[in-house]
Amino acid sequence: MFDFKQNPPLSLYIHFPWCLQKCPYCDFNSHAIAAGEAPESAYIDALIRDLEFELPRIWGRRLISVFIGGGTPSLLSAQALDRLMSVLRSHLNIHSEIEITLEANPGAAEADRFAAYRQMGINRLSIGVQSFADEKLKRLGRIHDGDNAVKAIVMAQAAGFENINIDLMFGLPDQTLDEAISDLRIALEHKPGHISWYQLTIEPNTVFYKQPPVLPDDDDIWAMQQQGKVLLQESAFKQYEISAYALPKQHSVHNTNYWQFGDYLGIGAGAHGKLTDVANGMISRFVRHRIPDSYMQKAGAEQVITQQTRLNRADVSLEFMMNALRLTEGINTALFLQRTGLPISVIDAQLQDAEKRGLLEWDIEKLKPTAFGLRYLNDLLQIFMPSESKQPSEL
Amino acid sequence: MKNIRNFAIIAHIDHGKSTLADRFIQLCGGLNEREMQDQVLDSMDLERERGITIKAQSVSLNYKAKNGETYLLNIIDTPGHVDFSYEVSRSLSACEGALLIVDAAQGVEAQSVANCFTAIDNGLEVLPVLNKIDLPSAEPDRVCQEIEEIIGVDASDAILISAKSGQGVPELLEQLVKRIPAPQGDDNSPLKALIIDSWFDNYLGVVSLVRVIDGSIEVGKKLRVMSTGQDYEINEVGIFTPKRTSKKILRTGEVGYVVTGIKDIHGAPVGDTLTSSKSPAAEPLPGFRKIKPRVFAGLFPVDSNTYEAFRDALAKLSLNDAALFYEPETSQALGFGFRCGFLGMLHMEIIQERLEREYDLSLITTAPTVIYQVETTAGEIVYVDNPAKLPAVDKISEIREPIIRADILVPQDYIGNVIALCIEKRGEQKKLHYVGNQISLSYEIPMNEVVLDFFDRLKSVSRGYASFDYSFVQFQAAQLVKLDILINGERIDALSCIVHKDVSQRRGRELTEKMKEFIPRQMFEISIQAAIGSKVLAKQVIKALRKNVTAKCYGGDISRKRKLLEKQKAGKKRMKQCGSVQIPQEAFMAILHVGRDN
Repeated sequence: MFDFKQNPPLSLYIHFPWCLQKCPYCDFNSHAIAAGEAPESAYIDALIRDLEFELPRIWGRRLISVFIGGGTPSLLSAQALDRLMSVLRSHLNIHSEIEITLEANPGAAEADRFAAYRQMGINRLSIGVQSFADEKLKRLGRIHDGDNAVKAIVMAQAAGFENINIDLMFGLPDQTLDEAISDLRIALEHKPGHISWYQLTIEPNTVFYKQPPVLPDDDDIWAMQQQGKVLLQESAFKQYEISAYALPKQHSVHNTNYWQFGDYLGIGAGAHGKLTDVANGMISRFVRHRIPDSYMQKAGAEQVITQQTRLNRADVSLEFMMNALRLTEGINTALFLQRTGLPISVIDAQLQDAEKRGLLEWDIEKLKPTAFGLRYLNDLLQIFMPSESKQPSEL
Repeated sequence: MKNIRNFAIIAHIDHGKSTLADRFIQLCGGLNEREMQDQVLDSMDLERERGITIKAQSVSLNYKAKNGETYLLNIIDTPGHVDFSYEVSRSLSACEGALLIVDAAQGVEAQSVANCFTAIDNGLEVLPVLNKIDLPSAEPDRVCQEIEEIIGVDASDAILISAKSGQGVPELLEQLVKRIPAPQGDDNSPLKALIIDSWFDNYLGVVSLVRVIDGSIEVGKKLRVMSTGQDYEINEVGIFTPKRTSKKILRTGEVGYVVTGIKDIHGAPVGDTLTSSKSPAAEPLPGFRKIKPRVFAGLFPVDSNTYEAFRDALAKLSLNDAALFYEPETSQALGFGFRCGFLGMLHMEIIQERLEREYDLSLITTAPTVIYQVETTAGEIVYVDNPAKLPAVDKISEIREPIIRADILVPQDYIGNVIALCIEKRGEQKKLHYVGNQISLSYEIPMNEVVLDFFDRLKSVSRGYASFDYSFVQFQAAQLVKLDILINGERIDALSCIVHKDVSQRRGRELTEKMKEFIPRQMFEISIQAAIGSKVLAKQVIKALRKNVTAKCYGGDISRKRKLLEKQKAGKKRMKQCGSVQIPQEAFMAILHVGRDN
């Protein structure tokens, strides 16, 4: 159905589904568990079985990045993680220089393990700071305080991490513009290479959705975003995606692969994957069991996949745009054909409409959202929505 | 024939008409317990949901009276809402008697009064029946007094019942057999049958509900539709028991259905006379007065690709609704659609709901308007049912608006509120007198003021106790102007309205304020102006949305972000793109929401 010349780049995502406490804004697949209670050894076993089961689907393909996310994967002991890393190296085509990221929370216990993580080959740390203000962290249900956050960054640097991301949120309950900017200043003082500066969003199925906190008004949130952007730029951070800012050559390879509509294998409870089947000309999405116990029970067999969806033409164009148009510089126009297997002419009418409305610029070389289009990305993407939204066909 | 009783039930909404019909069906064994579904006569889902009757229906029942005789009772159900009064007059013309059902607690309501007068005019025997007699708040004496004073019917032998519990219903059956006369007519004369209603059935084609006045209708014979002169073979006749039950013949005095080969509803017009092809009657029956739509609105598909489907749906709906009028309309702002004429606001709501529900269409409806009579400077008279089509100011010598007479019945406690409302609506008092605990009021009010929200307001200022009926009086000259709405400097034709000059300033201000409430913030700043000609009366500005973007889109789960986009898209389903601005349905109806807080 789609005509692919070659495989897209491939990433690996590994999900760890536990946290010490569930945050009221979080809608990821994470489950609260007491310290030391996570069945880490059994879970690592399950991940290995799951990976082995998936190997035929990605046979011979080289990985460009690995991301271990969660939940709180930094709850894993160094030994458990080391066992996982050894299996990855023995089973997969992994070069030593590829980006391997671990999500870490700034709790004291985790920070002690940073050196060990670095030694086993993890070379990028994404630290979920969110804020440096104790009172804001409490409102967000985080278990760390501002000092823990600073200490985590310092320890990560001491452990030899040169590639550190700090997640920072703005638009927090009762937050003032000064408070938001102050958080950003503290982050910049510690010289990370990458900062995710993103707005708190109230998602369905969260505590905040049921009991909405009082958030700053639209004008204040806009000011936070804009002033934050200026401050980041003054510190040599370049925005390359809606919420992602990086020093030169420090952008995230893994996330960029999502945004460029690359392939990714997702293993672990509730993990999502997207793979291109060049030979049969199709793109499929995979979702795994999200409850940790049933995941562990079924890992290693087909039953671990709860949903497998083959994308149709309309899905593919829309989903490509949903990712690619998040990038401030857009993409090379040729990437559309490479990644979707469809000629760009299938969205000619939509591109022209978007261009006419000043939301997008494109020619044969480049395709990128305008500053206006980036600001109203949801309106821009509406243009690429299938006119009758049919559900993707289930296999 | 002497054992046939044809009668209608006249009642206000909620006074228990359909429940009583159900009780009759049960007592006469028309349906068994299992088949009994509450209010079997309201067959449309919409009717059952709203608890109203829209179309006339009939049911034929066999009743074994105490005198040992079996009677054939034909009940013609009638709609209770003012919009559908024409259906009532049709139903009544098929009957010799009528039951006037009055809620024993609430008393007489204006709608029933109007229908009852129609029944009396048609020479029907009217039996007053007090329902809900088992309610603690029932006041039979007071209500009987009201019936006598307002309607002038002797209520001394009114029958007291509770349709809900069944109390008094057997006695009512006995009384109606005794008091309502049997039909008269000549079985041997040439056929004359009155078409009470016609509807389109997907399997049978056109089905007509008829009352046989003279002669008989027999399967296999040929009949003639007198107005068209067309002949058709009679495929099927029968009665509703209430199940459709076919028979060989419908005789003089009977009420039943007829199926012929008629494919189009206009081939069997309501009020027309059926006769025999072989020996046709000399004169047709008097028939009914033609009904005219009174309220007009433009209906436009949100997605212009569904225009064809919309046109087909209207054609199908009009098959069963002779009162629905439609013609193509083109709007600069809304594209291709139809100008539709309705009997009233309820009729309009029902049509819109049926189009959306039964035909899965997404529609934008413009604010309802009445029809205006305009005399041009050239001396011509034109009728304008669309504000956008009002001739230029310098071409108009006079605009005349339709005036109606509103007959209102209201308990004394609320009279002050009701009078204040009528004055606000530019009403002129014609009559006021006391009857029992109620006051009977007559006002002449511009219809324009009534279609908007009069009925809702009347209900709310009287806590639901006031009732009203109206009839057209005349066209009357008035100081009317066209109020335009400009969005980002562009005149949106579909938002224009005709208002009285004295209130134009205020209406303009209120309209722009309401529009500001209804139009969501968008990518650009939006200005809303109200203007008469080139004179701007009011202006509001909707600030641009700061941004519309999902902050974080990490992880491989794209489905959640997609759901968000789909939700936003669904939100736009009832919005129409005018230039670069998305205008939601509510904004087109903003006129219905103004003038309430004064």
